[in-house]
Amino acid sequence: MAVGPRVLEAAGFPRPGRLSRLREWWEQEHVFGYGLIVPAIVLLVTLIAFPFGMAIWFSLSDYWVGSPGGFVGLTNYREILGNETFRQTVQNSFVFTSIAVSLKVVLGVWLAMLLARNLRFKRVIRGIVLLPFVIPTALSTLAWLWMFDSLYSVVNWTAIRLHLINAPGPNWLGQSTYAMAAVITVNVWRGLPFFAITVLAGLMAVPREYLEAAEVDGATSWGRFWHVTLPLIKPVLAVVILFSTIFTFGDFNIVQVLTRGGPVNTTHLFATLAYQVGLNGGNLGQGAAISLFIFPLLALVVFFQLQYVRKE
Amino acid sequence: MAFARSRGARIRSNAFAYANLAPYVFFVLFPFYFMAVTSFKSNAELYNLKSIPFWIQTGVITEHYTFLFAKTEFVTWMKNSLLVAVVATTVSVVISILAGYSLARLRFRGAASFGTAIFISYLVPPTLLFLPLSQVVVWLGLADSVYALMVTYPTFLVPFCTWLLMGYFRTIPREVEECALVDGATRMQTLSKIVLPMALPGIICAVLFSFTLCWNEFIYALTFISQSGNKTAVVGVTSDLIRGDIYFWGSLMAGALLASIPIVIIYVLFLDYYVSGLTAGAVKG
Amino acid sequence: MKKPDRSVPTRRQFLATTAGATAGMASWLALGKAPAFAQTRELTFLSWNHFVPASDDELRKQAEAFGKANNCTVRVDTMAHLQMPAKVAAEAQSQSGHDMYRTAGADPFLYENLLLSVDDVVEKVGKQGGGWYSFAAESSQTKSGWKSIPWFWISFPGTYNQAHFKKAGFEGPPKTWDELLKMGKVLKKQGNPVGIPISHCSDAHSTYWSVAWSAGAKVLEADGKTPGISSDKTAQVIEWYKELYKDAMEPEVLSWDDAGNNRFMLSGKGSWIHNPVSPYNAALANKQPIADDINHHTSLGGPAGRHSAPPILSMGIWKFSKNQELAKEFVAYLFQKQNYDAWIVASNAFNHPPLKNLADHPIWARNPKFAMLPKEAEFAHPRGWPAKPGEAVQRIDNNYIMTDMVAKAVSGMPTKRAMDWAQEQVALAVKGQLKG
Repeated sequence: MAVGPRVLEAAGFPRPGRLSRLREWWEQEHVFGYGLIVPAIVLLVTLIAFPFGMAIWFSLSDYWVGSPGGFVGLTNYREILGNETFRQTVQNSFVFTSIAVSLKVVLGVWLAMLLARNLRFKRVIRGIVLLPFVIPTALSTLAWLWMFDSLYSVVNWTAIRLHLINAPGPNWLGQSTYAMAAVITVNVWRGLPFFAITVLAGLMAVPREYLEAAEVDGATSWGRFWHVTLPLIKPVLAVVILFSTIFTFGDFNIVQVLTRGGPVNTTHLFATLAYQVGLNGGNLGQGAAISLFIFPLLALVVFFQLQYVRKE
Repeated sequence: MAFARSRGARIRSNAFAYANLAPYVFFVLFPFYFMAVTSFKSNAELYNLKSIPFWIQTGVITEHYTFLFAKTEFVTWMKNSLLVAVVATTVSVVISILAGYSLARLRFRGAASFGTAIFISYLVPPTLLFLPLSQVVVWLGLADSVYALMVTYPTFLVPFCTWLLMGYFRTIPREVEECALVDGATRMQTLSKIVLPMALPGIICAVLFSFTLCWNEFIYALTFISQSGNKTAVVGVTSDLIRGDIYFWGSLMAGALLASIPIVIIYVLFLDYYVSGLTAGAVKG
Repeated sequence: MKKPDRSVPTRRQFLATTAGATAGMASWLALGKAPAFAQTRELTFLSWNHFVPASDDELRKQAEAFGKANNCTVRVDTMAHLQMPAKVAAEAQSQSGHDMYRTAGADPFLYENLLLSVDDVVEKVGKQGGGWYSFAAESSQTKSGWKSIPWFWISFPGTYNQAHFKKAGFEGPPKTWDELLKMGKVLKKQGNPVGIPISHCSDAHSTYWSVAWSAGAKVLEADGKTPGISSDKTAQVIEWYKELYKDAMEPEVLSWDDAGNNRFMLSGKGSWIHNPVSPYNAALANKQPIADDINHHTSLGGPAGRHSAPPILSMGIWKFSKNQELAKEFVAYLFQKQNYDAWIVASNAFNHPPLKNLADHPIWARNPKFAMLPKEAEFAHPRGWPAKPGEAVQRIDNNYIMTDMVAKAVSGMPTKRAMDWAQEQVALAVKGQLKG
């Protein structure tokens, strides 16, 4: 500042004391920077890092609701791995995630391609398509619960009238393969918009000249798609697939509302099994161990994501 | 545009697109339509195997809605959801603005690591943390109350919003801030008076997403809250309208619809923000 | 100068009034009620979301009436019954929460040291009400006295479709489990099989206990520690289930939830289930014609007599409660004849009294379809009998051991192997090792 502190004092301004030095200290870039992220870091440490550590502690101890126990090492893990319900859950998770994500990729890209055209009601259609993603999943799943009801299923009613199946139609939520199909259907219904809209944004970023040039060159639609479009949207697609895999693997809402893991544990995912064991059964130690199985896949995904981001 | 295409080809291509979009649109909208129809159908028709499920034949009734309002604590649930969403959103967006600006603009040691830490914490799913958090909530004395949600929701809101806002903050030219600083503004003033107004679209986006995520949240609300009077709308509808072996289907659908409406309204009004927020992550990387 | 307008308050008057109003407002907000009363006591009661919502309305009405009469407020909080065990455990651990709550299952024994002894209330109410049924003592009386006051129980009769039975040529419903098997075979051939869930739902267990006890089989010995599954009687029970599954039921029973048998019955397909009266009430409420065909009959018996395992619910008062006397008075209030009667009516005959005098209510006596229900109390037992309810019994139920044993057997596992597996699981439950 051009005007010194004594001049200011003579002019009647208060002498720069502790407060002013504090202000100057605060104005430094690194102090201000650290200061601003303190709330976020506090939140992260106390409510994410610490509970994560707790989850590991629970999984290694005999911790029940109402009676915290002591350290037992890997007993919980040994017991889960020997438990056939858990093994079924692992299988369920991989089947569920792989089929659901594959369907979402294919249908999502297809939908994105359709929406990329210059259509008249594009904005409205886009808005409609995104709706399942925005509505509370647990509530929209209730609609599906009623649509798949063992007696009054509208899906069966329609299929029977169209002569696709014989009466009375499958008990969607009561038979293992059908239940898995039902859960996957709802997950795809819910997650498709995320793929479609994001890939669409990626498509919009593709310069039209590439596509036009390919068309002029006489490439077929499929050829155009495979050789021109797809490579250009690969980055976006990769990100979306990685995110979707995590969310699908750790899904809770859909299975909990639709089947609660049944019938006979054939639709249990890690999250729902952890909920059943940890809260309904009261065994927090084992519940934590189960939910921690999500972590390795998570770490893998994070690793790939970070690699990918660093390449950018 | 040097590309010519015959009008006929264009019409055919559009017709093809519409024809293929129609099943999607139907697939997307049908459950909502069905919810609405079910919520206005009388029980006698609902449970009659001979009736047609697609529309109402015996007349529209409103009993399911009156049951919802009179015999359940639906209004309380909606109030709880609103309270939690507003408080958690406010807290989270404020924290995220501060953190996002700091990580996007300011240089200090470890900034990149903090950024990575926040990103990683976004990927830790609530389904991993809900069990230990259920105990933390008890230790904090917040068990079975909406305060438990207000405290825990920022854990998944802050990482996402910080990341989102970082992207927006980065688009603001440095010169603008540097001018302000040279002119004698404090850093805080620069942030609040210069940067924030320019990042308003991003902030609106963050607020919308946060509110939606709070309203829709299920597992924490289900785990931390047990008494009916303290539940949020989503959990209340899914848990209290199924009593033992009786499903109150009509009211279930009515509740599901009504509890979704606030989100739908906001969504319709701010559609473009939702889309840009969704794509911000993936496209900007 | 204008003449002062009398109709408009002067500034002084205005300020005085405002100040007075503000002070009144402030004290009202601060105390949450009109300033005249001092701080009143609040009694808190944690109950479940009753399957019949009107029953909860009546409970709250009575709570309010009691509050007014005793210069206090009674707050009734409700929650889904499946979430209650976790909540109760949390209250037990933190030694804070509600004054009293609806206990179920083995709670009086699990929390024996944390619950108040209520022998005085039990005796008073028992004398007034003509005596408790035997299951009352079995479910609430621990070594250190009565730890909860039995509140109500829910009958679990046989529910059958009269039209189907008539068509099959039967004059009436079965009286024993063996008769059910014989009749079921004929009914299945007719296209109307019977249905007992063999799945992870509470109905599956309620039926299993009933069948097993009627055959003389046990799960735990009376000492509560020795597994008692492996026996000839249990083998008989399993064989019975296998035959029933093969010849009288359909595979869908393996995937039923608690609502599965309701649906089965209400669709017109099922001819017989074992369930509380909810299907009949639902059919009435939904104005479905099948309501005319549905009827109930007394629970089935066997060589070892007639036994059933209906849900038995009680009220427990925590020792940490600061309103123990008030809670006891509230309990006594709820058991006054006119109050309990009103509550029975509100629940549509769902709530059954554990006291002999209250069981003659016209709502059962006057309705031929309900007349046999109160008798169930005479042969009801809490889960685990002859052992006392306890943590082991709770774990056995929570982990669906018996139902899994039957499921394995009907799916092909040899009876002895299934029994041995169950015996092992029960031993683990007793040791406290059983998880998941």
